[in-house]
Amino acid sequence: MSNRDYPEEILQSLEDYNIDIRDFMPGHGKGAKLLLNFNKISGIEQVEGVILKGKEIENGIVADIIIKEGTKIEEPVHLCFGVNKESGVQEIFPRIIAEDNTNVTVQAHCSFPKADGLIHKMFGHFYIGKNCNFTYNETHYHGENSGALVAPVGFMYVGENSVFENNFNLTRGTPGKVKIMIDIYAMKNSVIKSTIKAFGKCKKDSIRIRDSVFLEGENARSIIKMKAAAKDGGEVLMYGITEGNAPQCNGHVECNEIVLGKGSICRARPFIRAIDPTSSVSHEASLGRFPQKWLDVLQAKGLTEEEAIQILIEAMLQEE
Amino acid sequence: MILEVKDLTIPTLDQKRVIVEKISFGVKEGIIHAIIGPNGSGKSTIAYAIMGLTNYKPSEGKIYFDGIDITNMSITERAKLGITLAWQEPARIDGLTVFKYISLGIKEKKNLEQNVSEALKIVNLPPEKYLNRFIDESLSGGERKRIELAAVVAMKPRLIILDEPDSGLDVIIVEDFLSIFNRIKQLNMTILLITHREDIGMVADYGTLMWYGNALITDEFPEVMLRYCKKAGLKEFCKRALFKNGERCFSEDYIDKIFEGVDDL
Repeated sequence: MSNRDYPEEILQSLEDYNIDIRDFMPGHGKGAKLLLNFNKISGIEQVEGVILKGKEIENGIVADIIIKEGTKIEEPVHLCFGVNKESGVQEIFPRIIAEDNTNVTVQAHCSFPKADGLIHKMFGHFYIGKNCNFTYNETHYHGENSGALVAPVGFMYVGENSVFENNFNLTRGTPGKVKIMIDIYAMKNSVIKSTIKAFGKCKKDSIRIRDSVFLEGENARSIIKMKAAAKDGGEVLMYGITEGNAPQCNGHVECNEIVLGKGSICRARPFIRAIDPTSSVSHEASLGRFPQKWLDVLQAKGLTEEEAIQILIEAMLQEE
Repeated sequence: MILEVKDLTIPTLDQKRVIVEKISFGVKEGIIHAIIGPNGSGKSTIAYAIMGLTNYKPSEGKIYFDGIDITNMSITERAKLGITLAWQEPARIDGLTVFKYISLGIKEKKNLEQNVSEALKIVNLPPEKYLNRFIDESLSGGERKRIELAAVVAMKPRLIILDEPDSGLDVIIVEDFLSIFNRIKQLNMTILLITHREDIGMVADYGTLMWYGNALITDEFPEVMLRYCKKAGLKEFCKRALFKNGERCFSEDYIDKIFEGVDDL
């Protein structure tokens, strides 16, 4: 399969936002790939140690992504879910399994450049085995019409001594209506880092995110970072949940949201719970405007207040 | 004079108390001018008022930069005229790279990487190790202070206000900072150095002594320091510590004479 088999509009829309996925395309780069054009699988490429299987269903696909035991790969496994139509329903049911002692990054790109009444749903299950280092990056681009309804749900089991990093980025274009729900179960000695960034840019943008970590194993550790901005009537609600359910586990929830312009709303609801006396769970949240000192620092470099705010938003929401 | 402060009074935000009262001093172009005084004497307040920070608005008096009245100008307008400030505690802005941060203040966008790299070299940071790093908790306080210095130097301003640049640094690093200040001075930038330490101030050519809200004297720095010691009753310290470039600033007789004289400050 060549680039030409994949809708140019989707490639272009990603490129417009500095997301160049051409190297991820089948026939390019070294990584494993699974590409979906609306509800049709348009390309699959496997590499040694990575099994990718997909089956088309009525409104989408069921997919298995299996990283075989001991596989350590540098190139990310690329998942690209694009829809070049204005409307329709795309449903994805992925099952991602990283067997013991694996080291892998999965990079998902979801691009809906023309979305206007489009529904994208995902119901994903992740199983991360023991002693793994697993990173899942998901970047969305929803066009400029606020016309998408995006509702991904993810259940993630992270095994003993594993490190799981989850980075979800929804900052480009206008998101539309977004409802994200993530549950992460952390076993003994595992480490969870979950970062979610979202930007509601107009009245039609409504983003609700629930990111939960359940520290179920002894000495499991986690940090949830939720960063958001809402402007011109946009709305963002973030629930950061952490439960310390095991001895010596340690979790933290951090939520920073910036409100710009009248009618915009940011809400943060950290929910923390500890049922083991040796566990420790904490949270911090800040909502409103950027600290005055940050603005002063940038204005003393010659920037106007508006330019300083723009730089700070970009910095806060940028992908790391 | 590149900077003139005339009869400046700055009240607290609630206007109930005066932080500095009717202070006046001038800063010559191309030199290092230190403002020295004990904690709480109003040094940083003056720095912030010169930079134009919102919470440090003068109730009386004027600030002139190169003959222009800047008293009511915004921070941005002052920065565009060539004034900038390196904060005592530099901001930690997650998500901003060192390259991006330093490049914000550079007007000429050609050869940006080269200009940013040169600024980093001036503060003794190897560009290849720092350009792509984020200004976050992974940087030490000393590294962030150097990056802040690099950022203000890269702007090529005419006046740099350094607010307590030595705070939180160990002795060896402070020595390095002093040589950096001299390097900046050689680039024809004027430095207004806010400090409460005499060893830091000794890098300055001139100084102003702040004493609980009042500017008592503006003179060559050792003279200012001598008066500071006298106000604080530190004659022995004065004899022991006032050296510049390895040489004693004053003879013991002169110090005795000053301390015996009537305090005219």
